[in-house]
Amino acid sequence: MTTGIPMTAADLRTDLSYEIVSIANTPLLVRMMEMGILPGKQIRLFKKAPFKGPMAFLIDGNIIALRIEEAALIQLKEV
Amino acid sequence: MEIAEKQALRRIAIIGNPNVGKSSIFNQLTGLNQKIGNYPGMTVDKMVGQARIGSHSFELIDLPGTYSLYPKSEDEIIAHKVLNGQGVDKPDAALVVLDACNLERSLLLGTQVIDLGIPMAFIVNMKDLAEKRGLTIHSFALYQTLGVPLVMTDARNNQGMDAVRELLLKGNFEAGKPFHQMGFTDLLREVKAEFDFATDYQAFQQLIFAGFDPVLPATKKEWLERKAAEYGFDGLEQQTRETEQRLGKIKSLLSTAQSSVTRSPGKWQASLDAVFMHPVWGYLTFLLIMLLIFQAIFAWAETPMDLIDGTFAALSGWVAEVLPPGVFTDLLSEGIITGIGGVVIFIPQIALLFGFLAFLEDTGYFSRVVFLTDRLMRPFGLHGKSVVPLISGMACAIPGIMATRNISNTKERLITILVTPWMSCSARLPVYIILIGLTVPDSTWLGINLQALALLVMYLFGTLFTLLGALALKYVLRTKERSFLMTDLPIYRMPRWQTVLLTMYNKSKIFVLEAGKVILTISIVLWVLASYGPSGQMETLNAQKEEALAAASEEQKHELASEFASKKLEASYIGLLGKAIEPALRPLGYDWKIGIALLTSFAAREVFVATVATIYSVGEDVEDELTIREKLDKQVHADTGEKVFTRATGFSLMVFYALAMQCMSTVAVVYRETKSWKWPLIQTIGMTIVAYLGALVTYQLFA
Repeated sequence: MTTGIPMTAADLRTDLSYEIVSIANTPLLVRMMEMGILPGKQIRLFKKAPFKGPMAFLIDGNIIALRIEEAALIQLKEV
Repeated sequence: MEIAEKQALRRIAIIGNPNVGKSSIFNQLTGLNQKIGNYPGMTVDKMVGQARIGSHSFELIDLPGTYSLYPKSEDEIIAHKVLNGQGVDKPDAALVVLDACNLERSLLLGTQVIDLGIPMAFIVNMKDLAEKRGLTIHSFALYQTLGVPLVMTDARNNQGMDAVRELLLKGNFEAGKPFHQMGFTDLLREVKAEFDFATDYQAFQQLIFAGFDPVLPATKKEWLERKAAEYGFDGLEQQTRETEQRLGKIKSLLSTAQSSVTRSPGKWQASLDAVFMHPVWGYLTFLLIMLLIFQAIFAWAETPMDLIDGTFAALSGWVAEVLPPGVFTDLLSEGIITGIGGVVIFIPQIALLFGFLAFLEDTGYFSRVVFLTDRLMRPFGLHGKSVVPLISGMACAIPGIMATRNISNTKERLITILVTPWMSCSARLPVYIILIGLTVPDSTWLGINLQALALLVMYLFGTLFTLLGALALKYVLRTKERSFLMTDLPIYRMPRWQTVLLTMYNKSKIFVLEAGKVILTISIVLWVLASYGPSGQMETLNAQKEEALAAASEEQKHELASEFASKKLEASYIGLLGKAIEPALRPLGYDWKIGIALLTSFAAREVFVATVATIYSVGEDVEDELTIREKLDKQVHADTGEKVFTRATGFSLMVFYALAMQCMSTVAVVYRETKSWKWPLIQTIGMTIVAYLGALVTYQLFA
């Protein structure tokens, strides 16, 4: 996916690993960091709930579920 | 001397991230010696347990699970207040539970506690999992850098717990080495002096928590805000900076203190999720599991409930016989004993439902349900975490409302609490069965039994109103809080019986001790209103009854007794009230007798059946539904001679019972869960208005 458009975790389709580049500065930033969602970490899509429901990601061996709006705050790059 | 000083440490706070096994350590140490109390001004319960080790006794405070000490919900505010000794007795030491597989995340909280300066120790739990994943923790390196004693445990399998007990006994706690540098030296010095704090970080936290603490005096709050503005201290910015710096330092520390080979959860874990989180199978499995739970509750709760019912009825009768007749005996046998029976009767349902819920929670399954259902609930202003309370409400609203605890968003939790009583609970079943039997023909249409169809419609009707109610409340209630879902899906584990049994016990205890008082009070008031009337009337009736009974033959006695029971209820305060509200009930198709039944069944919906049986003098054999039904079918209005229980009246009554609060135990539980009378009152009044309008429309449509 080298489209040039910055990709977020909400765009993840396959179960390939990506690297977190940055997280948008919102009040949720601290919460994400304290759950281990940090720049430099590897992230992989684990499961998606139907009808644009929550997405579950694998980060550091933990499964973390986020809504799409929250996943869209996480900027990724290919590894 | 030093040993004596160390042994003076007695009160210990336990803190840790969610899902690190903090509760299982607390349970292992305290067993059944747990007490539930309140934090002033807070809705979260205070869990305190006594641990006896050798001849020493320790008071353990189980703090809510949190990822950090930032003000996000009441959980963190409580942790902040307890660890700084504000409004509660300051603990002598803190036990911080860390997850061996997630040291980085755990140490964010761990190093925050270090910086508060409280004597502490780390428990590194789930060492078995870390070993399985090939993770080695160099505990001595950790101790050297952080200066905090450390014990490795696997609390689920009771490993390392002796080391924890020994640590408590020896008082082996140490204040760690200050970890985080935060700047703002002058500001923090001023706050430290004002609040009498020992460390800079306590002052720093006080600044950040200032706007969130509901019990902090306004003058102190203003002072803190003024100082923060003076020094250009922005709370959110400082939190982000603090988190980044802490995590950076932790990362470099862990690069020497742990070595890892692999980090992924096992294969069979993923294959379980392939089913439980599947877009089709996931939902089907969930429905199947809930169906099994309901089957079990209905099958297993009935026997103990009948037993409780029978026991209290027998006790009441025995007291009435043994004690000399009089007001006190009546109060004891009919008011108090029956009232207590009305509280105890809920225990089987509460205990069973929470047993199953604790079982599923402990396996790690429930967070998957949140994942699956969040999308379905959101349009209604609810959260994925609302699903379990709502579905539980189909058995009984009480455990459902008690299960809203883990919804962290205040608005979503409140909406869930307010609409759960609209789910069709098991107490509505006897009311529906009687009324459907009276008004719906027992015939089939396209092979479907019409009575069964009517019952199904009532269940769907309840669910529909629950969702519509939530939707309406979504627009009415205002909140600043942002709704979000950010949850760990923990790995699947075997549930522990100890946890399941303790949850069953604790939830039943909370209900009996806290909601029980309110229920008992209301039921005594209702009993007084139903047993006494304006002076003279009851005495006259009693005298008439004695006279009539003396003159009557054996066969007539039975009939006379039920006739006078009906007359007495009519002459009571509640009877008068029922008559007084008749004009308001006429448009719904009810007479004053039904009015009385509506009033008495505020105690609980199923009371409707017993009251109707009394007021229409069905006789004592109220167990027999067929008898009641036949009697009721014959009732006619005194003035017009028309049948009372027509189809329109029956449907209107069913709608009323589907929508009205009609359950004092639910009121009591909502009071207990929201810690104020505001919401249960609004809820009761609102539900009654909606029920009245619903019944009105129904009657006018079918009449």
